[in-house]
Amino acid sequence: MVELLLLSRLQFALTVAFHFLFVPLTLGLALLVAGMETVYYKNKDETWRKMADFWGRIFKINFAIGLVTGLAMTFQFGTNWGAYSEFMGDVFGPPLAVEALLAFFLEGTFFGAWIFLDRNRQKLKAFSMWMVALGTNISALWIITANGFMQNPVGYEMAVDGSKVIMTDFIALLTNSYVWYMLVHTLLSAYLLTAFLIMGICAYHFLKKNNNEVFRKSFSIAVIVALVTAVMLPVLGHGYAQYVVEIQPAKGAAMDAVWETGSSVPMYLIQVPDASTGSNSIELLGIPGFASFLYTGSFSGTITGLNQLPQDELPPVGMVFWSFKLMTMLGFLFIAEALAGLYLQKSGKLYMSDKYLKLLMWSIPLPYIAITAGWIVAEVGRQPWIVYGLLKTANGISSVPISDVLVSILLISGFYLALIVFEIYLIKKTVVNAIGVE
Amino acid sequence: MLDFLTRDMLAVIWFFLWCVIWGVYFIVDSFSLGAGLLTPFIAADKVQRIQIQKSVGPFWGGNEVWLILAAGGTFAAFPLVFSKMFTFLYLPMMLLLIGLIARGISVEYLHKDDSPKIQNVLMWGWFVGSLLISLVLGVAFANFFKGLEIAAGGVYEGTLLGLFGPYALIGGILFVLISVTSGALWIKVKTEGALATKAGDTAKKSTIVVLVLSLVYLAYSFVGIEGFTANYSATPVLYALPAIAVIAPILAVVFAKQEKAFMAFCCNLGTILFIVESGLVSIYPNMLKSSVALEYGIDVFEAASSQMTLSIMLGGALVFVPIVILYQLWVYTLFKEKIKETEQVDY
Repeated sequence: MVELLLLSRLQFALTVAFHFLFVPLTLGLALLVAGMETVYYKNKDETWRKMADFWGRIFKINFAIGLVTGLAMTFQFGTNWGAYSEFMGDVFGPPLAVEALLAFFLEGTFFGAWIFLDRNRQKLKAFSMWMVALGTNISALWIITANGFMQNPVGYEMAVDGSKVIMTDFIALLTNSYVWYMLVHTLLSAYLLTAFLIMGICAYHFLKKNNNEVFRKSFSIAVIVALVTAVMLPVLGHGYAQYVVEIQPAKGAAMDAVWETGSSVPMYLIQVPDASTGSNSIELLGIPGFASFLYTGSFSGTITGLNQLPQDELPPVGMVFWSFKLMTMLGFLFIAEALAGLYLQKSGKLYMSDKYLKLLMWSIPLPYIAITAGWIVAEVGRQPWIVYGLLKTANGISSVPISDVLVSILLISGFYLALIVFEIYLIKKTVVNAIGVE
Repeated sequence: MLDFLTRDMLAVIWFFLWCVIWGVYFIVDSFSLGAGLLTPFIAADKVQRIQIQKSVGPFWGGNEVWLILAAGGTFAAFPLVFSKMFTFLYLPMMLLLIGLIARGISVEYLHKDDSPKIQNVLMWGWFVGSLLISLVLGVAFANFFKGLEIAAGGVYEGTLLGLFGPYALIGGILFVLISVTSGALWIKVKTEGALATKAGDTAKKSTIVVLVLSLVYLAYSFVGIEGFTANYSATPVLYALPAIAVIAPILAVVFAKQEKAFMAFCCNLGTILFIVESGLVSIYPNMLKSSVALEYGIDVFEAASSQMTLSIMLGGALVFVPIVILYQLWVYTLFKEKIKETEQVDY
């Protein structure tokens, strides 16, 4: 039973993390490519046509994998999380079905149209891409509505026999504050990832002294998006963190490894939590009251410590703490890089700044890492609950033969490995040969 | 919303919608599956392969969403069925998933790389993916009609091998061949030149095979499957469904022979739709029929969600399904020209 739980969780973690490698770029690039298609339709400037072609090709390659790996998520709710599906179906099913109806149909239908429409029908082509962008972004709303319920259940009642939740208020599902904090955070981080990927690819060409206008224009758009999103993320994330502390105290306390309840809690610049002793083994360079400020909005605010919370309902503190630290540290790096980029571009030194350009190239994976870390905070931080306060993860799995799960993990992992190798190969080839730009 | 409908009434309406959505999926995906199954055998060269790719490329993605809607709709309207269906058929579902991923990636990446070797691998990936999807769904639905080995207390006693009995195998092969026929006729309708001729010839033969298999499958269903005829005896008007399922493949053979490809195509879609619906009405009120004893099955009323969930979903479906159908049909009209033998590489 323990092994089955572990394998089921491992499979879900693997497939969802893999799927989400492709989602953020889809969300961001869809909007940008749609914009490029429209500008080209309006001004017939070849540069914009080339931009739409080049970034559109990367969008296509990325979108295909995002689409097919999303199927794995739907399947697994049934195959591996049957008990969860029965418990949650009444509430969780509708957002998923509506997502298919409102979002997936738009994406799927117009993605095909956009690819196969030629430039003689530019107006329709641009329109199709806007529909794809609309579909992908609506999709984010619905899946996060479903996830928001798992984080903060609202608009439901328990069945008389306690076997499942029953929806009582559909609007409450949508107006759940958790959904909106999460949605804004997710979308902003997706746009940030897109901007950094574009800047990194442009940097590669600048380093090769290919100052094609396609890349210069793309860079100047991306650097603005990067700066705006990089600044907004911590500003709005601050409110999100305070909200989390209020709704899920254990996740909130684990994010900063606050063990003992107290007011004016300091934040340590160097800190190593140790769950076995229920304390930090290293605490250095504390900023007085700063943790209180971050999590409650007041320097003298009180945070409930992990040791004062029910001990059998704590998430793995180390994993949540380090993921959160990694995400926030990267967040500050993104602000610095975006600021530097804007400054270098305005002062005309960008194309000569080899070190900065190299840094940008190597920064392409960083938003991916930050986003994955953020999801670990959100999902691992909710443990041991699968639906917060209502259903434990251990009670959500299907009772299937463990060998079946093992077979499927191996099958899927092998397959995904081949997919990502091929995907990176195709994108690299597109970038190196600047396909569509010449 | 829709408060005048009781939960039980809504459950019945949703069973009906569930049958419709599955039917639509089988229809719309059949020709892209068929295209994938046929490409390695009828595309003489890259030019013809691109013709096939262009004939289904704009549509397959939007069409596959009907499958996601079928799964999502099952989850929302009948969570218990969703859970049990996927749990009982764990490995077949994983094969289906692999098939869906292989098909999607292959068809999207088919000519993204210039290397003929990679293009060849992807062409076969498209074939294997399409084969897995049509075969697994054919076998799975035959098992749904026959009943799964659900014993007392909802315990599943089936084995992987047990799913591949003769009835299920005929169902699987039938689904594959109906898809092949659908693909051949679609290619015939959508393309010009040598490829279209070849596709037309393929369809002339495959429609005959589909006719024979359909008759065998329907006869087997009515004679050899326990409990299949119960609903038909109670409501004889239902016999119209299998009757159409017999007439449609006959007409498909005739039209294919007369080179009326579009008519033959429509008849072939009729075959698949009415075979599926003939089976689905036979299991009602069960959604997961038990082959051990009828009372162990999971029925519509047991599995249905709450009145509120079902009514909200019904409202959503009544508004948005027609909108989806309209814009999908509109996209078909955007690509109505026949596809000539001109090479266009970057799709």
